[in-house]
Amino acid sequence: MMCRMLHRDKLTAWLEELSRSGRRLIAPQREGNDAVFKPVETVDDITLDYVNTRWPVKEWLFPRSEPLLRYRYVGSSVELEQPDLGLEPQVIFGVRPCDAAGLAILDQVFITDYEDEFYTRRRSVTTVVGLSCTEPAESCFCTAVGLSPTSSEGSDMLLTPMGDDGYLVETLTAKGKQLLWEYGHYFGAGECGSKDLATKAIEAKMSRGATLAQGIGYSEELFEHPIWAELARKCVGCGICAYVCPTCHCFDIMDDADAWGGIRCRNWDSCAFSLFTQHASGHNPRPEQDGRYRQRVLHKFSYFPQNYGRVMCVGCGRCVTDCPVNLDIYAVAQAVLHIHDELHIDGKSHIAGEELHSEPHAREHNSLTSSRAAS
Amino acid sequence: MNETHLVEYLSRASEHFPAMNNIYRPQLMTVEHIRDETPDVRTLRLAFQDKAVGEEFAFIPGQFGEYSVFGRGECVFAIASSPADRGHVECSFKLMGKVTTALRDGEIGDTIGFRGPYGNGFPLDELRGRNVFFAGGGIGMAALRALIEYCLHHRQEFRHITILNGARSVADLVYKEDMARWAEQPDVELVQTVDPGGETDDWDGEVGFVPTIMEQMAPKPDDRVAITCGPPIMIKFALLALERLGFPPERVITTLENKMKCGLGKCGRCNVGPVYVCRDGPVFTAAQLQNLPKDF
Repeated sequence: MMCRMLHRDKLTAWLEELSRSGRRLIAPQREGNDAVFKPVETVDDITLDYVNTRWPVKEWLFPRSEPLLRYRYVGSSVELEQPDLGLEPQVIFGVRPCDAAGLAILDQVFITDYEDEFYTRRRSVTTVVGLSCTEPAESCFCTAVGLSPTSSEGSDMLLTPMGDDGYLVETLTAKGKQLLWEYGHYFGAGECGSKDLATKAIEAKMSRGATLAQGIGYSEELFEHPIWAELARKCVGCGICAYVCPTCHCFDIMDDADAWGGIRCRNWDSCAFSLFTQHASGHNPRPEQDGRYRQRVLHKFSYFPQNYGRVMCVGCGRCVTDCPVNLDIYAVAQAVLHIHDELHIDGKSHIAGEELHSEPHAREHNSLTSSRAAS
Repeated sequence: MNETHLVEYLSRASEHFPAMNNIYRPQLMTVEHIRDETPDVRTLRLAFQDKAVGEEFAFIPGQFGEYSVFGRGECVFAIASSPADRGHVECSFKLMGKVTTALRDGEIGDTIGFRGPYGNGFPLDELRGRNVFFAGGGIGMAALRALIEYCLHHRQEFRHITILNGARSVADLVYKEDMARWAEQPDVELVQTVDPGGETDDWDGEVGFVPTIMEQMAPKPDDRVAITCGPPIMIKFALLALERLGFPPERVITTLENKMKCGLGKCGRCNVGPVYVCRDGPVFTAAQLQNLPKDF
């Protein structure tokens, strides 16, 4: 890894040149009280005044809605057409470390087993320039899921504010090096080690530290525990938590057609919706909100870790602030973890006084190390 | 590579990629034959329009496909035909929702979409050299049909075959022609049953729910694998019946049918705990199901 410094005064000039480089520059811009990622028309529109953006950066690689297929009716037959991805090289500037880590998680989902080229092709023409945090929000908990306000995972280049001096610039991938090489004249010498102090300073401001990074071990007793009904009682199933999540990737596929042809389209979806799992017969494996909410929490902290070796949450806190009924996933996960420990540390089940037959296991023997139930 | 070259390279990135492998793009299929199994179950025989793809196409019994009516959407059905039948697939579907209604309205010669095969399929190696007990309920027989055809095609590899076919009523029994053909094969025993009240005056089969008849038939668990597919309520009691008959859960096999969209382990709706029914299933042993959350 190489480190450089970018002087505060040179940031705008660099972005200005970058925006005219033939790449599409996407950066946070004001929209009402929010900062949102949008293609840059003039660099004056770029804002640096945000804790985080309104929406995660994922939509620039995994759009809310995109055609997977186009077709035209020709007599009784059909002609298929590949949708144009509109691929153009793009640089996304100002991505917070949590959102960038979210991309690393999406990478795993879309590459594993069957490569989803709608995602991977966009990813390959995208350079992510991360921007470390200086002020956490109350809802932030990246340190609880093994990240930090200055962590570099998912970024090609990461800028960390260093007070009045400007930004420490880390180049992390070939795409990041390419940017550094092209715009070398903007960057001076930098000291990689100087980031540690900045990291410590901001981490000290974060109050939500208890760890969730190891995930939550699965057990039938935990799955059947009455806490889910308790936790989900106020969930209205609006689904906003999935839409603002940097890692949620569930989608629906539907057709939209007229008399001449149409598209097969994928749209973001959410496990909070009752129709998400409902069979055509009417049977629904998750007929109530508690089952749906349990799926959300266990997918992120138990199932995903079993499949991909890490929790599917980056601690951005968006779902915490956006939830209309104040469901706080950090607090919920802590509560569930507590139940898990109660159930399993002493090897006894507390449900209806039943004895649990499974071996007692300590926290480190968590889902991350357990093998998949069926593979 | 200087800056100009790089930008040019990136600008032409899409041209530099080889043709996109679109995992959601279906094969075009022609509806070649339509057979009504029951008043609401229909079997379609589909021919690959791309003959080369059809010749290459191979699947394991128990795998499934995503069938689509363009303009209406996609639907998951088992591949119901024999794996030996190259160039074609057959599916059976029950008239139920939007896509099956559109399929039902279709005619011979229509073009529909097909993606697959997906999922794990039945563990053929576990079956080889053993007696096999099949128990299907309603349209659950569709997945079993591919496997039964496979077993009969490779007859010497399998021992005694028992087939129990159940339905709500006599009219609802699927694959009547196939059942007659299978029953004629040496060392194949066929039992058909209908739910109480579903029998007709001339019905000479059994009357009773599939799990009940299973226990009456009392297949010996020795060196026998039991495979059961059907509606969730039947599966629940069939698994209990097989347990009572002494089958070890490793030799009881069933399939799960959860709502699916992608079929590829990405869209996130068919999971049962960490397991995706589309990718890790749809075939599971009773032993595997015991370790999964009751989320199906």
